[in-house]
Amino acid sequence: MSPIAFIAIIIGVPSLSLLAYVFIRGSVGLRRYILTRIVLTLPMVFILGSLVFLVMRVVPGDPVRSALGPKGTPEMIQHIRQELGLNDPMIVQYGRFLVQMFTLRFGNSLIGGHRPIIDEMSERFPATLELVTPASALALAIGVFGGALAASRRKNVTDYGFRIYSVIIYSLPIFWLGLMLQLLFGVRLKLLPISGRIDAVISTTLVHRTNIYTIDALISGNWPAFFSVLQHLVLPTITLGLILSGIFVRLTRINVIETLQADYIAAARARGIRERVLVYGHALKNAMIPVITLIGLQVAILLAGAVLTETVFSWPGMGSYLVERISGRDYTAVQSVITVFALLVALISLAVDVIYSLVDPRVRY
Amino acid sequence: MTALKERPPEIPSDITTWEVELQKVGLLRRILNARRWYGADWWFVTVSAVLVLVFIMIALFPSWFAPFQPATLVGPSFLAPGAYPPVPVLVVPNTSLVNSLKDLASPEGQPRPSISVVQGGNTAGALNDAAQQIDNQIKNEPGGLRLRPIIDRYPTVEEALQAVVDGRNNAAVIESTEYTSITAQYPTLREGQSISGGANTAGGFLLGTNDIGQDVLSRLLWGTRVALLIGFSSSVVALVLGVPLGLLAGFIGGTPDRLMSLLMDSMYAFPGLILAIAITAVLGPSVFNVIVAIAVLYIPTYYRIVRGQTLSVKEEVYVEAARSIGARSREILQRYIFPNVIPSVAIIFSVNVADAILTGAGLSFLGLGLPPTIADWGIDLARGQRFIQNAWWLITFPGLTIMLVVLAFTLMGEGLMEIFNPKLRER
Amino acid sequence: MPDDILFSIRDLTVEYLTRAGSVKAVDDVNLNIRRGEILGLVGESGCGKSTLGKALMRLHTGPAQITAGELWFDGRDLMTLSDQEMPEVRGAEIGMVFQDPMTSLNPLQRILEHLTETIHAHEPEVSNSDARARAEELIERLGIRRERIMDYPHQMSGGMRQRVMISLALALKAKLVIADEPTTSLDVIVEAKFLDLLKELQQEFGLTILLITHNIGVVAEISNRVAVMYAAKMVEVGDVNDVFGQPKHPYTQGLLRSVPNIKLDSGELYKMAGAPPDLTHPPSGCRFHPRCPFVMDICGDEVPPLEPIEEGHLTACWLYSSVVKRPEKMHA
Repeated sequence: MSPIAFIAIIIGVPSLSLLAYVFIRGSVGLRRYILTRIVLTLPMVFILGSLVFLVMRVVPGDPVRSALGPKGTPEMIQHIRQELGLNDPMIVQYGRFLVQMFTLRFGNSLIGGHRPIIDEMSERFPATLELVTPASALALAIGVFGGALAASRRKNVTDYGFRIYSVIIYSLPIFWLGLMLQLLFGVRLKLLPISGRIDAVISTTLVHRTNIYTIDALISGNWPAFFSVLQHLVLPTITLGLILSGIFVRLTRINVIETLQADYIAAARARGIRERVLVYGHALKNAMIPVITLIGLQVAILLAGAVLTETVFSWPGMGSYLVERISGRDYTAVQSVITVFALLVALISLAVDVIYSLVDPRVRY
Repeated sequence: MTALKERPPEIPSDITTWEVELQKVGLLRRILNARRWYGADWWFVTVSAVLVLVFIMIALFPSWFAPFQPATLVGPSFLAPGAYPPVPVLVVPNTSLVNSLKDLASPEGQPRPSISVVQGGNTAGALNDAAQQIDNQIKNEPGGLRLRPIIDRYPTVEEALQAVVDGRNNAAVIESTEYTSITAQYPTLREGQSISGGANTAGGFLLGTNDIGQDVLSRLLWGTRVALLIGFSSSVVALVLGVPLGLLAGFIGGTPDRLMSLLMDSMYAFPGLILAIAITAVLGPSVFNVIVAIAVLYIPTYYRIVRGQTLSVKEEVYVEAARSIGARSREILQRYIFPNVIPSVAIIFSVNVADAILTGAGLSFLGLGLPPTIADWGIDLARGQRFIQNAWWLITFPGLTIMLVVLAFTLMGEGLMEIFNPKLRER
Repeated sequence: MPDDILFSIRDLTVEYLTRAGSVKAVDDVNLNIRRGEILGLVGESGCGKSTLGKALMRLHTGPAQITAGELWFDGRDLMTLSDQEMPEVRGAEIGMVFQDPMTSLNPLQRILEHLTETIHAHEPEVSNSDARARAEELIERLGIRRERIMDYPHQMSGGMRQRVMISLALALKAKLVIADEPTTSLDVIVEAKFLDLLKELQQEFGLTILLITHNIGVVAEISNRVAVMYAAKMVEVGDVNDVFGQPKHPYTQGLLRSVPNIKLDSGELYKMAGAPPDLTHPPSGCRFHPRCPFVMDICGDEVPPLEPIEEGHLTACWLYSSVVKRPEKMHA
């Protein structure tokens, strides 16, 4: 089964069943809310896609010519232009682009072996997924608990410590952090590998099913591969996760502080509920609601960070794919990648809204 | 109409007495008094403001601070921080009568001496400078001697020395450390005197040199120029475009507001770096394009915040009151809404500059955006990565500098936020 | 401590420590709350009554601190309790009803959870089903239908939410309930019902209630005794009929005259001269003296002590003090 199909199933089945559940059990208000959110996502995708289209069309000169380089004869250029439909009027091109965007048939890459872009992406996307998931988990763990801890001890060493932590992390260029980690653990201490997803030798033993190497290794019981991938994952995950955690610490801290000043917290304290329960049980939960809506925005930062991290660690994901294609002037691929990113952002935004509606009872009822 | 000329209404009641008093004194005294009022946060803002000023000074006048120009080859490659470049020495056959460079001088008309050097590094430069110096000295002396050697470049030390052994060159100029390590292999050669001259043979390089012999420290300091230029320009452009849009959208409301907000929210949600990558890929590498790309990124930020503030101020009772006595929209915008929006904009601006610098560095790290001839921290980092195994200083210092600059601006924004936002202060 | 006194507040001072100096929100206050009574605590906004109410449970956070005094509740001084022991008193022995029931209830928690959490915080051994049964009984007693216990706060009306607040205060059979401006956010009719409820609870459970409010009418309606505060100090205490019928302290007199009366002709609305003082720099001597129509020289020099003039009726005013040294001429 192709990796794209696999991923589609992994993401699609739970989401659809969640949606179904919500629709069946939820109140009228909830259904209306979710429908509205879905409907509003379409314009966002539309706008982003159009922006991408416009931006790519502003290229001065001929993208095909620059892609083919000096080897390209005028006949070749014309031929490819015809193939890509670049000679058609803008409207037609735009329409075709929209269709492509929604059906995910992006055409072929302009350089290299002219492979279908969708195939190349189906190798790269799981790699990014494999990196981004543990990084987000790490960031959330540090961020949420750190933020709550800092908020509960105001004007105290812990509080200032976390504030300084989040400011420093924010100012830290992610690529520099990656480089420094490479230097320390890869070069000086020689503890961990600094590039690639898996040891080259071991990778020949790995059967690729989903292209998420950890899962593939687990499925086939290939322990050397599994550990190799884990080893390669450590540094990039720490890099990306650490940088993201700065934002989460800050967000959580601010929201928990504000929540702690709420009347119902004082009222609960007056009933004898202990401080620790107040902070972690009540304030944190309530503070998470605004944080959830903001997490959706953090996806943008996550993707940007992924691009840089993948470049530093030569991690073959969507981010490094984008950079490679730009240097190679493969505009079709670049356009496709950015479209995929836009789709991702829109979908996650929608997902966050749905989750938010489930969590906040004021919306539910 | 005179009512409108008065200051916006009385200070809201949840501000304590000492804050009221603070509003009544002049600006300078307010700043100095603020240390007592604001405590630790005052230090945040002041220290970071000083840092920011320092960086601005460096950006404006880099030659005051940097020992060299960023592009000149000032020393041997891969010199570690603080190390002194090895002094080049003259290497001659044992049988030669030549000891120092001056000895190679020959009368006008006679064949010129030929000297072999190794490619790269600054030995050729040092040799040239020294020869010129000596030549200028001796050409005015009687005897008619000149020193204008022919310089042959060889790829390796061994080849350069072999050329002397074979007699193709009269002498070689090699860095002393390189020579001493292989002197045993060339028993027919001996070391002469050292060559002085060259751009900088006496001083060490505080932060080392990079792969082609440029001074890392100088490149760092000169890089400030590009970084701050990009940071400030893009933030200013974004501000100039975003703030009025936000004010208008918040004020007018209705369909134009909703349309614009939809556009802005979509842009805001999209990963900034990737949008910047796309724009620079399309426009091509240049400083101007980078500024444009990053500015586009931040317009939605200003827009959203200003629009939000406008909306909430618009609902305030004093705006209603002003309207009821006949104030026109433009005046309301100008006198009531705009001044209330300024503190937030100031905070966003400093954080924006920080972010813009980061994004700019990220772009050049990826090899997009800036032409490679400009001294920039991101480019240096990318180049340095290739030599991570040998030259740790090439990636450590540029990154550290980025962090410090960004930190300064971020701290300032943080401090300003704590000062302007009473809700988060201790109650 | 005499048996009929439930809470004895002695020499209590609560200060706000700010960067600009300290402010005494409650200054050297003495008050006794008797078992089974409804004691009204009145005064203008900012006089310190809310701060006093919170102080009784040591509920302050941040810059406010109790800097002096003793809180003798039912035989022990609460000031001696540690930070771990104090939460045991809160909710179980002393309960509090807050002003705004909408914001005082956690929007993410059902009413049931509010109640069961409180019960479990003090009696962790109670089973879930028992706790639920108790909770349902409680809200029913307060006039809310059992089924509503699964509601979220935003699904209830204001009056119902206020009843929920009382039920929370009573969940563990507290002896004293402090009600901080409980009716300010309610409309008149709901307010009347609420006050009736309070009276019922007092009679049925022998509940002691400290009713903090700036609304004199409410106090007059259900309180047994009343205490008047001005500028962080206690100025008059006594039986509600005595204090409102024959107010002794000039401030109390002015307060009562300010209450609009339907019998007054228009144009006769009374307003006290001046304004409450800035507590960062309070006036010397008696805090009311700059506004007092009967001010004497001594009033600006020395603080009058709170003393009984008649049985059960105390006031802090040089006009009545037995310790007055030089009865000066009076200024009108």
